[in-house]
Formats: sequence, C-alpha cells, structure tokens
Amino acid sequence: MSHQLSKAAAIVGAAEANEIGYPEEPRSSLQLHIEAIKNVSDLTGIPISDIQGVFSTAWTSELAEHLGLHPKYIDTTAVGGCSFEIHVHHALCAIYAGVIDIAVVSHGENGWSQRRTGKEGGIDYPRHPDAPAVQGTMPYGFSGPPSYYAHAMVRHNHDFGTKPEDFAHVAVVTREWATKNPRAVMFSEESHEFGGPISLDDVNNARLITWPLTMLHCCLQTDHGGAVIVARPEIARELKTNPVWVAGAGESMGHANMLEMEDFTATSAARSSRAAYEMAGMNAEDMELAMIYDSFTVTAAITAEMLGLAPRGKGYTLWKDGHAAPGGRLPINTNGGGLSFNHSGMYGMQLLVEAYRQLSGTAEDGVNGIAGKQTNASTCVVNGTGGLLSTTGTLVLTAD
Amino acid sequence: MPGPKPVPKSSPLTRTFWEGTRAGKLMLPVCNACGKVHWYPRYICPHCHSMDLSWMEGSGQGTIHTYAVQHRAFGGWAEEAPFVTAFIDLKEGDRMATVLRGVDPLKPETIRIGAAVRVEFEEQGEGMFVPFWRVEEEV
Repeated sequence: MSHQLSKAAAIVGAAEANEIGYPEEPRSSLQLHIEAIKNVSDLTGIPISDIQGVFSTAWTSELAEHLGLHPKYIDTTAVGGCSFEIHVHHALCAIYAGVIDIAVVSHGENGWSQRRTGKEGGIDYPRHPDAPAVQGTMPYGFSGPPSYYAHAMVRHNHDFGTKPEDFAHVAVVTREWATKNPRAVMFSEESHEFGGPISLDDVNNARLITWPLTMLHCCLQTDHGGAVIVARPEIARELKTNPVWVAGAGESMGHANMLEMEDFTATSAARSSRAAYEMAGMNAEDMELAMIYDSFTVTAAITAEMLGLAPRGKGYTLWKDGHAAPGGRLPINTNGGGLSFNHSGMYGMQLLVEAYRQLSGTAEDGVNGIAGKQTNASTCVVNGTGGLLSTTGTLVLTAD
Repeated sequence: MPGPKPVPKSSPLTRTFWEGTRAGKLMLPVCNACGKVHWYPRYICPHCHSMDLSWMEGSGQGTIHTYAVQHRAFGGWAEEAPFVTAFIDLKEGDRMATVLRGVDPLKPETIRIGAAVRVEFEEQGEGMFVPFWRVEEEV
C-alpha cells in the first residue's frame, strides 16, 4: 500500500533561464533565477503572483522580494546539489498538509560569469552590485539592525501619537522578568555590572545608539545554544516529559530589505499568526502567555499588535499597564527576553525553550537545572521575527 | 581607522541609474506594461511580472516617510555621526533610503514626516555619484 504522501503533488512544468552555459554577457545569479521562474510561469500559465511557496538554496527572501511575493512557505534548505530534490520533497509535504497549493523551486548560479568577471557572483547575491542593500542603504551609513529599526519607532510615533518613552516600558518589564531568571545575563548586579532592575529613566537616558533607540531599547549580544525535539504523538505520550503540542503554525514575510517595507508599523506577523490561529482553531483571546521576539522594544510592541494581543498602535500598553509583567493577565517573555536574558543574533530558539519551560508542567525541575515556571498557562503564542522586521514565524503551542 | 564610505558599483542592471546620477538625473525603472515605477532596479516588474522594463527621468521630488538619527556609525560614516537617515516617498511612487541634508541631527523633533525633499547628488568616490535628499524650505 502506498504512503499517504504518494501523488499528493506533481511537478507541473520546468524551464531554464534564457541564456545558460557560457553567456555572451555576464549574468547575475538573480537574473538566472528570475528568467527561469518567468519562463516556467509562462509555460504553465500559472501567474507568478499565484506562487505561495518559495524554495531555494540561498537568500530566498531576497528572491521572493524581487518577485514582489509574500509567500506563506519559505524554505532555504541548502545541503549541496541534492537540495532541489529535497525542496520538492518539502513542497510535497507542505502541499499534502494543505499549507500551500503552488510552490516554485528555483536555482540560479553563475559560476562562469563569476570567473569571467573575476568578482561578485556565484550565488552570493546580497553583495552583488544588483542587490538592493548595496545600491540602496549601504551608501548611506546604515550599519546594524538598530540603524534600521529606529525608523519603525519614529513612524509609529507619527501614526499613532506614541512616544519613545512609551516603548521604554517594554524594557523595564522585561528586565523585571530577567531578575527572576538566574540564567539571564541581566539577572542581577552580580551577574552583570548593569544587571538587576531598571527604571524608565534608565531606559530614556541611556546612551543613544540610533535616535530614538537608546542602548536599553536594544537587545543583548550573547552566546546561546538550544535545541528542541519534535516527535509524533504516539511517541510524545510515552515519554517522561510532558508534550507541548504544536497546535498551529504559520509563516510569512513582508520584505527582505527595509526599502521594501510597505508599512513601517506593521509586519507579516499579522499573516503568519492568522495562519497559526486558524490551524489551531483558536484566536488571540485564547492565549494565556506570549513569547515575542524582542530584538528591540519596538519589535515586541509592534508584534503584539500584529498578533492581535493589543489594538493597533497600543502594543506598548500591554507592558505599560502591567499585563505583560509578573502577575499580569498575559505574561510576555518570562525568561527576560532578548533585551535582558540572552540574544545571540537569532533569538528564535530561546523563544521555543522558554515556551516549553512554561507550558510543559515538567519544567518545575528546570531547564538546565534552573527552576523557572512563572505561569500556569496552557496556551502560548510564539512569534519569531527575522531580518529587518522582514520575516515571521508564529506557533500556537498548547499543554494538555 | 575609518575607511571610505561604501561606494555602490554599477552593473548591467543598474548602469542607467548610475549614469543618470553622474549627469544630475534621477533615473527610475518603470514598467512598460503596467506603467508603475519601482525602486530598486529589477529584472521583472514586482507589480505585474512583466519583463518589459525601461527607464524614466524622475522629478527628484519626494517626501519624508520616516527617519532616525545615527549616533553610531562605522567606516567612512563614523566621523559624520550623528547624521539623519530617512526613507523617502518618491513623487513617482516607491521609496528610497538616504541621509537627509539640511536638517539638524541634534534636533530630531524639528524634522517633520511628510516634509518635502529634493534630490541632489554627491560624489562618494570612484566617480560614483550618490543621491541625497535635502529638506526644502517650508512654503
């Protein structure tokens, strides 16, 4: 008997870029991708705008942005030459699962043109002269993430009448959580010279990084390692640990480069969370706990709005009014967040570890030996944000 | 030691734009099929997915969409900090990033979202002219 995935999807067309081999004019790898996608779209009659899943081996978000797409399935599996066969497998699974109907698997590599021009090329698009960052932001002194994210807070201030001081509450409350987590970098004055509780004045008067973001609006830069195991229900029920169920999942992206951010006060978390809530058959009001990527105070506050946890423009009130704080109705970032616990560059794993710790009911024994169950929540929304408010992944997790 | 400011490079896709800046013109990619302007230059129209693209000379006018003040910068920009970065809504549509000219980075509250700006071009090295936007006197 065949597996249930058998024939759950089909390859419906294939095409190549216009010029391959040894092109007369050097080609950029992006150009090779785009021509091939255009050609397979024409061949099949499937408009590019109908593509819901984008699969490639590098900078998939740049590829989708160039096409003007906001896919709901993004896969950058890169394990060498077999990656594209693996992409087809992943696309089959995503289609079988009902997440998407149409996927493109795309490839563009310009080894020949790269050798000929002796410079940029290969699959290294983000540093190619064609890349939007090289043309559009790097010449203007943009440096790290704070240099971009600050623009979102200024626009939020303009659109909703908020002030930078409103967002400072996020930093203060998140620090309060960190003082309950001995593994947090900012746990206490003993753990870090600037550790322990902080005040609004501390946040407002800290050194400016990018106005209006002071240092205390910005996350830490630390080391971190983490892992979670996902297993099928039959196995999950037999273990000594309690299962935390993936009740819902969704992903999306707005853009790769902030140049293409349509609304500086909104992210694709609106779409990714809608997908996750729908899958779970739940909504924002059902969430008893939230783990929200807080690379900056503004990231967390805007995301809370996108997740439906607060009205538009009012995300910061969850922290200001104490709802997100210890004892509040919706605890947020109970580990102390990226702002005060740990942020290694990509904070998504820390979100998952803490969500498991709070939901599993077996975390009283602690993660890494540290007790830390702060809530009795049985539902949690987890949202990771990547890039420059670019990409989002949302999970709805539940405990038995 | 501070290095030079990053200098964009021309490519077959972007050559018309950078030749334009050298001549004091803001050239913008436009789609012949749907008529919409897009920035940055692409191989395909992000609005209608036509590959029939060409260029038009932009008005060089725009408005401030949002901004921030960079107090920390690196390389050639370090010695210019603090300076004001901004995203500009082009009159023709779509958006560009810039460093604002004609503003006081120590008085960011005096900068107004929606204020009119006009493009100008500065040589940033290697013969490459980069568009910058200057706040126009409020009429």
